Amino acid sequence: MEWLFLTVSFVAVLAAAMMLTRQNAVHSALFLIVNFGCVAFLYLMLDAPFLAMVQVTVYTGAIMVLFLFVIMLLGAEATTDTSGRMRWLGLAGSVVAIVLLLIFAFPIASNLLSSEAPDRLEARAQLRVINAIPGDETKIFTAMVLGSAMPLDGKVLATVALDARDESVGDSRIDDVVYGDSRESVRGYKEVEAGEYTVIVGVGDGNYVPGPVFTKDLAFPPDSAFSLVVFENEAGLIDVTVLNDDVGAPAVGMMRLTLVNAVTDRQVALVDVGQYTTRRSLCDDASCNSLIPHRKLIDQLPAGDHTSLELDEGRYNLAFVDQDHNILRTLVDYQADRGLIETRVLVREPGVPGSQASYRAAVYHALGVPAFGSPEAVGQVLFIEYLLPVMLVGMLLLVALIGVIVLARPDALAQAERRRVNRRRRVNRPLVSVISQQTGADVLSGEYLAKLPGGTDDGSAK
Amino acid sequence: MNPIGVEPYIVLSMVLFLLGALGVLMRRNAILVFMSVELMLNSANLALVAFAREWGQVNGHVFVFFVMTVAAAEVAVGLALIVNIFRERQSINIDDLQQMQG
Repeated sequence: MEWLFLTVSFVAVLAAAMMLTRQNAVHSALFLIVNFGCVAFLYLMLDAPFLAMVQVTVYTGAIMVLFLFVIMLLGAEATTDTSGRMRWLGLAGSVVAIVLLLIFAFPIASNLLSSEAPDRLEARAQLRVINAIPGDETKIFTAMVLGSAMPLDGKVLATVALDARDESVGDSRIDDVVYGDSRESVRGYKEVEAGEYTVIVGVGDGNYVPGPVFTKDLAFPPDSAFSLVVFENEAGLIDVTVLNDDVGAPAVGMMRLTLVNAVTDRQVALVDVGQYTTRRSLCDDASCNSLIPHRKLIDQLPAGDHTSLELDEGRYNLAFVDQDHNILRTLVDYQADRGLIETRVLVREPGVPGSQASYRAAVYHALGVPAFGSPEAVGQVLFIEYLLPVMLVGMLLLVALIGVIVLARPDALAQAERRRVNRRRRVNRPLVSVISQQTGADVLSGEYLAKLPGGTDDGSAK
Repeated sequence: MNPIGVEPYIVLSMVLFLLGALGVLMRRNAILVFMSVELMLNSANLALVAFAREWGQVNGHVFVFFVMTVAAAEVAVGLALIVNIFRERQSINIDDLQQMQG
């Protein structure tokens, strides 16, 4: 790695020096392209692949082509620097450069660049709470994540109100009751400092947490992602199942599906039924001696349990089946995209009491953070945090475009004046010639010209 | 992780910046002065990307984007100016352009 860096940086510096010393401007431009290519390579080494590509297209592709175009258009290849004046600037420039070098070298030499900050920033974990409590008119839950890594300070990291009366059962609604240093991240995760925590889930409204109904000590290692699925266990109590979300990419051409069973009284299996079906059961007949053809993907999961599998990309007709072969929910024409990481939480939907229960497979994308420097990561920051600057830069480009068009236009005023003068001369010349011939005086020059009657635009003299 | 820390990249960016500054001060050809400015902008970009990696934040990349956009706009306008000046005076030696001197 070091030799690679040394080689590339040597080429970059060499190309920059050659650019400065060439007399031919075209050679200078070509050496600058080499330098930009080296910088793009260094971007790749710095985990910025997207920027490297932009560097190649924008700088070496667009800007340098413009430079070369202008140099060749003007024929300014061999414009020399020997104007005689300002020769002292070279010496002054060298002195300034050495002074700048000393100023810049100071922080590096005195080791001011190294800091503790990167370690602190890297030691972060992703955390989200998923509400999978079956709908009920009476219950509101609040999940709290309390920090107790250091001396039991009980710092509240995130408070999540799980409103069971909310129609969107299966969605967690993360309120802004956040203390401590936690930053909202994508896909419903919250970033918390890595460490050991006590997770407390209490029953109450969003602001007030009475006695906890669930308490568990959990360790969140750095760069990990956790989902806390709050559900109702078989005893009718609030329980939490903890998913350590594997945010690493699945195998090539596969997607990873994680199934969480949050249905209180049933075991759930996931099967691939092949053909689209409207059946309510896998059984072939009433006595259920045989089953329709299917492929079992995930075996029976008890309530609160979870498991993962990797699926080949493609389209599937999936069905969630309970222990009695009843089909609780189908996913028709389910599209398994490669690289997708998905968590499905099977929950019972709120329904009218006494009617047949319906189920829902709520989907959560588990991709916590896109890879550093990837187009997705840059795009998210660019278009969410920096939307206004992006707009302003777009305006700047527009203004520059208009400015260039105005600059590139031939000087309109001068051209109009030239045209006016030409027309006047053209119109008056025959008349003037006649006068000149008749009088024998050279009326075309000197003060005679001013005494001539003015011509009109249609060519007739007054 | 990348075994190379942030310092070598900053040193390289510094050297490139100084070369660019030298070019601006020493060359009299307006197009070469422009190219030296581009070199300086690029070295600043390199420093931004290096620090972005060091801090694990993508914000540095976003600033590099803005710098690139501004550089593109600047080059377009600047080269149009140079073409106009060349058309007017048949020279792009910046020592010849003194009519705004006080």
